[in-house]
Amino acid sequence: MYYIIEDTINGILMGSIYGLTAMGLTIIFGVLKVVNFAHGSMLMVGMYLAYWAVTLSGMHPYLAIVLVAPAMFLFGYTLQNFVIKPIFIAEKNVREPLTVIIVTTGIWYILDNLTLLIFGPQYRSLADNPLNGQMLEIGEMFISVPKLYGCITAVITALGVYWFFQKTDMGRAIRATSMDREAASLMGINQYKIYNVAFGIGAATAGIAAVTLVPFYNVFPTVGVLFDIKGFIIVVLGGLGSIGGALAGGIIIGIIESVGPQFMTATWTEAIVYGLFLVVLFVKPSGLFGQKHDW
Amino acid sequence: MNYKNINKVALVAILLIAFGLPLVIRSATYLHILVLLFFYAYLTTSWNLVGGFAGVLPLGHAAFVGIGAYTSTILFLQYGISPWIGMLVGGVLATIAGILIGLPTFKMRGAYFALATIAFAEGFRVIVENIDYIGPFKINGPRGLQIPPLDIGLANFMFASKEPYYYIILIMLVAVVVLTYVISRSKLGYYLNAGGEEPEAAMALGVNVARAKLIAMAMSSFLTAMAGTFYAQFTLYIHPKSIISLDLSFEIAFIALIGGRGSIAGPILGALLLRPVGDFSRIYFGDTLPGMHLIIFGLVLILVMHYQPRGLQEPLTRLYNNLIRRITHNTTGR
Amino acid sequence: MQILRRIVVPALAISLIAGSYATGHAENVKIGNIIPLSGPSATLGQQGKAAREMAVEEINAAGGIKSLGGAKFELVFADSESKPEKGVAEAERLINTEKVNVLTGCWNSAVTYPTTAVAERYGIPFVVPVSVSDKITDQGFKTVFRIAAKDSWWTRDQFAFLKDMEKEFGTKVERLAFVYENGDWGKGFAGQWKKLAEAGGYKVVLDEPYPSTATDLSPVVQKIRRAKPDVLLLVSNAADAILLTNTLADYKVKLKAIIASGGGHADPSFLKTTGKNAQYLFDIVEWETDVNKPGAKEANDKYKAKYGQNLTGEAVDAYVAMYVLKDALERAASLDPEKIREALAATNLSSGPGMIVGYDSVKFDKTGQNENASLVMVQVNDTGKGLERITIWPKSARRAGYTPVFPMPNK
Repeated sequence: MYYIIEDTINGILMGSIYGLTAMGLTIIFGVLKVVNFAHGSMLMVGMYLAYWAVTLSGMHPYLAIVLVAPAMFLFGYTLQNFVIKPIFIAEKNVREPLTVIIVTTGIWYILDNLTLLIFGPQYRSLADNPLNGQMLEIGEMFISVPKLYGCITAVITALGVYWFFQKTDMGRAIRATSMDREAASLMGINQYKIYNVAFGIGAATAGIAAVTLVPFYNVFPTVGVLFDIKGFIIVVLGGLGSIGGALAGGIIIGIIESVGPQFMTATWTEAIVYGLFLVVLFVKPSGLFGQKHDW
Repeated sequence: MNYKNINKVALVAILLIAFGLPLVIRSATYLHILVLLFFYAYLTTSWNLVGGFAGVLPLGHAAFVGIGAYTSTILFLQYGISPWIGMLVGGVLATIAGILIGLPTFKMRGAYFALATIAFAEGFRVIVENIDYIGPFKINGPRGLQIPPLDIGLANFMFASKEPYYYIILIMLVAVVVLTYVISRSKLGYYLNAGGEEPEAAMALGVNVARAKLIAMAMSSFLTAMAGTFYAQFTLYIHPKSIISLDLSFEIAFIALIGGRGSIAGPILGALLLRPVGDFSRIYFGDTLPGMHLIIFGLVLILVMHYQPRGLQEPLTRLYNNLIRRITHNTTGR
Repeated sequence: MQILRRIVVPALAISLIAGSYATGHAENVKIGNIIPLSGPSATLGQQGKAAREMAVEEINAAGGIKSLGGAKFELVFADSESKPEKGVAEAERLINTEKVNVLTGCWNSAVTYPTTAVAERYGIPFVVPVSVSDKITDQGFKTVFRIAAKDSWWTRDQFAFLKDMEKEFGTKVERLAFVYENGDWGKGFAGQWKKLAEAGGYKVVLDEPYPSTATDLSPVVQKIRRAKPDVLLLVSNAADAILLTNTLADYKVKLKAIIASGGGHADPSFLKTTGKNAQYLFDIVEWETDVNKPGAKEANDKYKAKYGQNLTGEAVDAYVAMYVLKDALERAASLDPEKIREALAATNLSSGPGMIVGYDSVKFDKTGQNENASLVMVQVNDTGKGLERITIWPKSARRAGYTPVFPMPNK
């Protein structure tokens, strides 16, 4: 019982970080109706940015958010504007243009391998950062401090994004576009600009997730791939397009990964995750928090 | 000569070239590349039955390749059963798996379907990687299975040279293309097309879309599994990370979308472009600029989608028709 | 179509030119190398490439192969991306189009199996610097020669080391935990460990494979912590080795020793990314920079100046492989594959430049396995110059003046 509590806490902490890594995926899907296969690569770019920002300046790793999040917003905005938007314009009449999936996969290959060319295959980590190896010890129980920070950041980010979508004009415009493109553009909303902003926000959350990972995780060119498939599962579990759902989906996966190995070998928990994913899809295809009209 | 006749001549010419190519290309290197090119064209054509005509995007076909490869290999290694028979057994098993996957997933749309098929394939890979034995059958977990190249011959589906493999996969490709052609002209093809574009409208007209899609899925998984057996016999080594990989599933979908999905020529055109781009860029940059070949591959994907979002098949068909019109025009003018 | 014209046509043209060039200068010895230059094992492939290039530069500068009129070595690299099917396609190309005289590779056992089968079919000699699975030399292939020790030797030596340490320090070890990546390599080791533990009278309290793509290894570390083993044996790739080492330290897992199996634990980035957390770790490798062998230090200094890293066991195997080939070609005095194969089979290379390995000579047994290949155990510790890897076992190879730390003090 005691072990299960300890593992559940770790699962919740790590899971909310997974949720944060997948949040951009769900935001982008909610608005553009496409799965961004380059999301893991954007996370990777964010991690390199955070790594170099902290290494070169020696600042506290979390301070890097100030730099990484806006930089990633710009990166996402530009990427969408120049690389993805033309496809949307060409495929105006298609609700979920599959060609965009191919384009985002192309972006994934390019980003990962460009990083390999520039930085080489080496593994890097912020070995000397103040969060590294910090543990809260409550009796026999261990709680990782960098993961706790990550969890708090994930919740704050989710609330922030939620607030932005509900309370700001831009947020309302984004929501209007995600519900009905035609109606929104009839109301004078430039849907392509909305797409750019949504993609930028998605990239910025990937940047924030990158900052929470860098204090305890390695940075290398293919790191995004590890989070990619996990991200897909998380967002579908939670309901594509739902921000709270991404967090919840992440936490569910985190708990399975953390508690599961106490009953089986760690390799089998992967199978459990896929199994649960399929069960949820069959029982409630819109995910736990998704809206019915989206599937 | 009229339009129809020219088409026939062109088709015969292409077939003659395809069958005659090994007489000209003696290098095992290029034959190997061509065999894989046909292998991918075959896979994509099989995929096209679901992904092209039924209007969904399956991203987990590697699971069927895996089922085919593992079934025939296990039967051959443990019981000495010819891979030709194993090929059919694998096909049947894959069909069952395909229907089981199709039943619940065909209710889903777009991204959900794509992600569900990814989860199926990945889940299947994880299970294979975790199992050493299923009953008496040796799966060998993550270590994979190797076929010792001892009894070479047609009965064992094993050859010392590339030519037999070349002809086998070419015949398989021609057969699956003919099958696709027949289906696309049949009632089933009509149902699939209708269901893919406007499912609600088709259902209102009394078309049993779900059933049509399931039949397509069953055929697609059967044919895909046969390619799995071919792959196992061609490389003589299978291992879950490479044969049940997302890379394989993705590449099939790329070829289809780049070539033009839902068309008969699309998968072949896609394979003709993407396979050489992948192979030759790896060969020429793999040494000096590691990763460059995947950058080029990514660029090609983006560029083709930018300029031809419906795939290469459309502009090429237009080009071909223009050409023919000019020829027929000239001949009648004379 | 533009794209087709721009990429494929020049590519074909280059291949034709390259092909004719190769036949025009037949006196050079062409060595094809299939290694993972991109993808998840890229860091290992690139070390292997650097080591081969350094050796070939030296060999060519020293006049090449004298019995072949000063023929030079010419390296051709092919990227396997760690994928068997890419490896097979590249083997076909290197043999048929590049007309290589010898092949080497492939690091990933999963790539080495099918590529050696291709080489066997064509009768082209294949030197495997590293790929440790026993199966590679147990297939009955005539053309395959492996420099590295095989996995049954690695595991045997890990247990022999453990017994020696128990004796030397009077500490009893009873409970073992096995944690390994769920792949060909990890599974191979774990299978041998199980047998050895039984024979040695140890109790196995944990036998845990994990996916090397895992993003969080604290659940596995918790399992280790709760199983309370005395000694933890590991097989890990780089990303997971780093993550495991840091997480073990975070959770203050008390162990008498951690014994790793090279690979990720020997990766040049490992010490940089784990720092103090890796202190006292034992790692079994083929070679260490402090080996007592003439030329070893010079070779390492040269490598470090060139590529910014120390030589690793894997890199040294690749380096030595080039010298083994040079020696064999010198004796074969011919580029006939069968002659080269015969010369390789008769190899007994004990001295000369390039022989920087810890053992006396490279000599292949009937299966093509280097029968003298031996391993050393190193300990990560700080003797005042920062953390470094110090050879401690076998005792004859132990660095002078260093006493191993066993059991591990509680941090």
